[in-house]
Amino acid sequence: MAGNARFKAVITLLLVTGLGPQSGVLAGEEDPFAEARERMVRETIELRDVSDPATLRAMRAVLRHEFVDPAMIRQAYADRPLPIGYGQTISQPYIVAFMTELLQVGPGDVALEIGAGSGYQAAVLAEIVDKVYTIEIVPQLAELSTERMERLGYDNVTVKEGDGYFGWEEHAPFDAIIVTAAATHIPPPLVEQLRPGARMVIPVGPPMQVQTLMLVEKDEEGQVRQRSLMPVRFVPLTGER
Amino acid sequence: MKPSTRFMLPALFVVSAVAIAYQIVLMRVWSIAQWHHFAYMIISIAMLGFGAAGTILTLLREPLRGREAAGFRYSVLAFMVSLPLCYIAVQQIPFETFHLITQGDQWGWLFLLYLLMAIPFVLASACTTFALFLWPDRVGRVYAIDLLGSGSGAALVVGLLFWFSPAQLAYGLAIPVGIMALLQMMDGSRRYQVLAVTLIMIGAISVAVQGIVPIQVSDYKVLSYTLQFPDAKVVAVRHSPLSEATLVTSRQIRETPGQLGNYPFAEAGPLPEQAGIFFDGGAVSVVNRFDGDLSRLRFLEHVPPSVAYRVVHNPEVLVIGAGGGTDVLMALYHGAPEVTAAEVDPSVWPLIEAELATFSGYLYERPDVRTVLAEGRGLLRREGRRYDVIQIALLDAFNAAASGVYALSESYLYTREAIQLYYEHLKPGGVLSITRWLKTPPRDAIKMLATYIEALEASGIEKPGDHIAFIRSWNAATLLLSRDPWTDDQIDAIRDFAATRHFDIDWIPGLQTDEVNQFTILETPIYFEAALALLSPEREQFYRDYLFQVRPATDDRPHFFQFFKLDTLPRLIRDMGHTWVPFVEWGYIALWATILQGVLASLLLIVVPAILLHRRAATGGRGRWVLAYFCALGLAFMFLEIAFIQKLMLFLTYPIYAVAVVLASFLIFSGIGSLAADTLLRRYSSNGVWFHLPLIAVLLIGVFAVFYTLTLPMIFDTLAGAPDLVRISLSLLLVAPLAFCMGIPLPCGLQCVSRHFPAMVPWAWAINGVASVLGAALATLLAIHVGFRQLVWYAALIYVASLYAYWALARNQADAS
Repeated sequence: MAGNARFKAVITLLLVTGLGPQSGVLAGEEDPFAEARERMVRETIELRDVSDPATLRAMRAVLRHEFVDPAMIRQAYADRPLPIGYGQTISQPYIVAFMTELLQVGPGDVALEIGAGSGYQAAVLAEIVDKVYTIEIVPQLAELSTERMERLGYDNVTVKEGDGYFGWEEHAPFDAIIVTAAATHIPPPLVEQLRPGARMVIPVGPPMQVQTLMLVEKDEEGQVRQRSLMPVRFVPLTGER
Repeated sequence: MKPSTRFMLPALFVVSAVAIAYQIVLMRVWSIAQWHHFAYMIISIAMLGFGAAGTILTLLREPLRGREAAGFRYSVLAFMVSLPLCYIAVQQIPFETFHLITQGDQWGWLFLLYLLMAIPFVLASACTTFALFLWPDRVGRVYAIDLLGSGSGAALVVGLLFWFSPAQLAYGLAIPVGIMALLQMMDGSRRYQVLAVTLIMIGAISVAVQGIVPIQVSDYKVLSYTLQFPDAKVVAVRHSPLSEATLVTSRQIRETPGQLGNYPFAEAGPLPEQAGIFFDGGAVSVVNRFDGDLSRLRFLEHVPPSVAYRVVHNPEVLVIGAGGGTDVLMALYHGAPEVTAAEVDPSVWPLIEAELATFSGYLYERPDVRTVLAEGRGLLRREGRRYDVIQIALLDAFNAAASGVYALSESYLYTREAIQLYYEHLKPGGVLSITRWLKTPPRDAIKMLATYIEALEASGIEKPGDHIAFIRSWNAATLLLSRDPWTDDQIDAIRDFAATRHFDIDWIPGLQTDEVNQFTILETPIYFEAALALLSPEREQFYRDYLFQVRPATDDRPHFFQFFKLDTLPRLIRDMGHTWVPFVEWGYIALWATILQGVLASLLLIVVPAILLHRRAATGGRGRWVLAYFCALGLAFMFLEIAFIQKLMLFLTYPIYAVAVVLASFLIFSGIGSLAADTLLRRYSSNGVWFHLPLIAVLLIGVFAVFYTLTLPMIFDTLAGAPDLVRISLSLLLVAPLAFCMGIPLPCGLQCVSRHFPAMVPWAWAINGVASVLGAALATLLAIHVGFRQLVWYAALIYVASLYAYWALARNQADAS
């Protein structure tokens, strides 16, 4: 009987949160990390001023523990970046949420991600937008992401192995672009593939640390402006006197 | 029968030479594998192995009595084996700096690293300690041989690093030690002979079969990431004592000196193909494919440093840190009739010449490009030539800059005096252009701006703001300094450049608040506000209040990259909670960690044996004076050595020569000093000599220290343009008498202890070893906070204070005898 009750609870949860099978929670399976994930959203994301309902819903839905190395599964919901091999990391949940909110995307939108890494950010976006295209240059990571997306049922995510510098012209323009591999310059083709009124986010900082986010906005006239945003509540630079 | 000690002193010399060479090799290995500040921390702790051997053997003195010669031989043999084995073992450890925060087991690996890397140093020190046991009446001579060996090793390894990789040297250094081990066979036991031959044969066969284990490089280094690109190929690797330069080709390498501002991609096309030269797997300098047609390099019009060519036309240009040549091409693209390219790393150009001559379009062989293998300041001083544009290339890696790994590096390129020098070498109307990666929160560019302002003021300019322009993209800022006040045309040109490239202007004369923060919008226009504060009478208060250290670096405190302020750390932690971690300067934290580790290890290595010795009543109540004296000498010696190496580095301008010449001469002349002390003490054994020899030495050290601090700036200024040979000879002349005197106090103390409390000799040796390691870290810390001049004063004071401990020791000894 307990199994039946759990099944009902899962169905109810799916109906309430509006999640499809994309979320990867298989009917009848207990999610041992549900509580940890809820705590992560409540304590490290909502409390730090991320309030976009779609973003919060996506963060609650995506099974972050599926995107980390099994050896580090217990730390999956801690608010810290974790190594995923090949010198890459899965960003800390707060940064992922903050970047997703910044993109201001919704149903019907198409997003491009440069640097799929573990695929976690793409999965979060996939909970919100219609279609996510993601490009990963490291073949092993691209393969891993593809396999993960298939397994978790994210059929609105397409992973491509290749060079993200030139974007993905046949699917352009995009409503949002996220570039996770910081280069010395913003690739001009990406700016061109941004739809007027759309946004691009670039996290900047050394490995395992995001210090600042660049938000690139293209207005309706095609004029581009950048904003440098601190992802953390920031201390005043000069003392109070 | 007294055991034969033939070949032992030559063996001691070789062991000392190899130990210091191995230390330098390990520093290189760690700089390549991880990051150099971490290398510093790990090697320091390994060096404490020098102290550990003294301690262990002090406690084992009685069981070892009569077996000193055998102990020495076996230590030499074990040292030989440990050199490659320790290196190989370390490469198997899955340690990763960046995982320390997330993976608890990394701390265990780190601890294991410390233990493994200490082994060769424990064994090298065991050789010295056995020698001290063997010749209790000639401890001064043992110390002298140790110093002479170390000096020779330091000089030799710098040369060897041109020819061999650090990995090859980790194995190769075992060869001279092996030869010494074989020589020991003549007097060794049968068992020793069999063991030595077996080990040497096993070693030789293993290397022949397995080859050399490569350095395990962190996945987080830019080079590791680049090598994952499907088409990435390592074309060549060159070594120098400065760096390992790896040349990589891949179509995915696309590096520009700052943001490409409003680049018309559709019209101008992609960037030219690039090859990357990675230095120690971190910083990258690119070589652009160039076929002689400059018009194909249009991207060079759209990067921040090109603003210099909007205000000066057809200029004669000096590029400092030319590397792969992007800045040289930028100058040629903008019509420079002649470009002087200065590069300090000797491995760069041979690499380009050998592997990329056609690819680079024979850039460095063009008649309009003059190449000079030199450090920028030295070149200007030596040649005295003036330029229309002096451009300092963006030398450090984009991401490395952000993590604060350079906090401990001295950079004489960015001091107030350096900017004054560049200013003096500008032609009328000429400009200096320096581009820096921007950090968050802002600090680099603000410090550079402050340095410009103070340098101009020191050069007698009343309105420095009229000579400065500050252009910013999202990730880099270019700061221009003009020889003359900007003209209206120049100001218009800068405004036009910024507007068309979508760069922000944070300073030019007449800039209004509503003009700033237009394209890359910051929460507050912090750079403009900083410029206003720095150009106002509020400057001092701004320095005091700002979250980071942005006061200009000077030649006395040349740590441009040190931004950390101890007094603002509580504010940072309080306001940012657990997110403060990415915002600190890790190089600086590593320095404190080194000191903390050193103190803890010292307690273990010095205090514990002291308690045990005391229990055995072997100290005769003199333990505290031994501790005080040998600790003081360790600290003071390192303070002076480091301070003078720094001073001479600036004078010699070529850091490899400087380090090799100065370090080697310091150690060798100190060795000669202790040899002289040893001879004097043996010849004149009266109490007068015992009392007066250290006194005279310390007085002379004081005189030299005072004389040098007062006169060196003047001497260096006068002779800065002299040929290399003259400057190197003068450096040797300056170092010789000081180092000679610095070599005297330690053998006096060791003789003193050896005469009446021989059991304490290795303990005293251990104290000195540990204090030297701590002294090196403390010297860096003090140099950052009070400058090198004060560091010299502190050293002199410690030397003087050490005399009190010495006299207490000698008096007690006289009483005892």
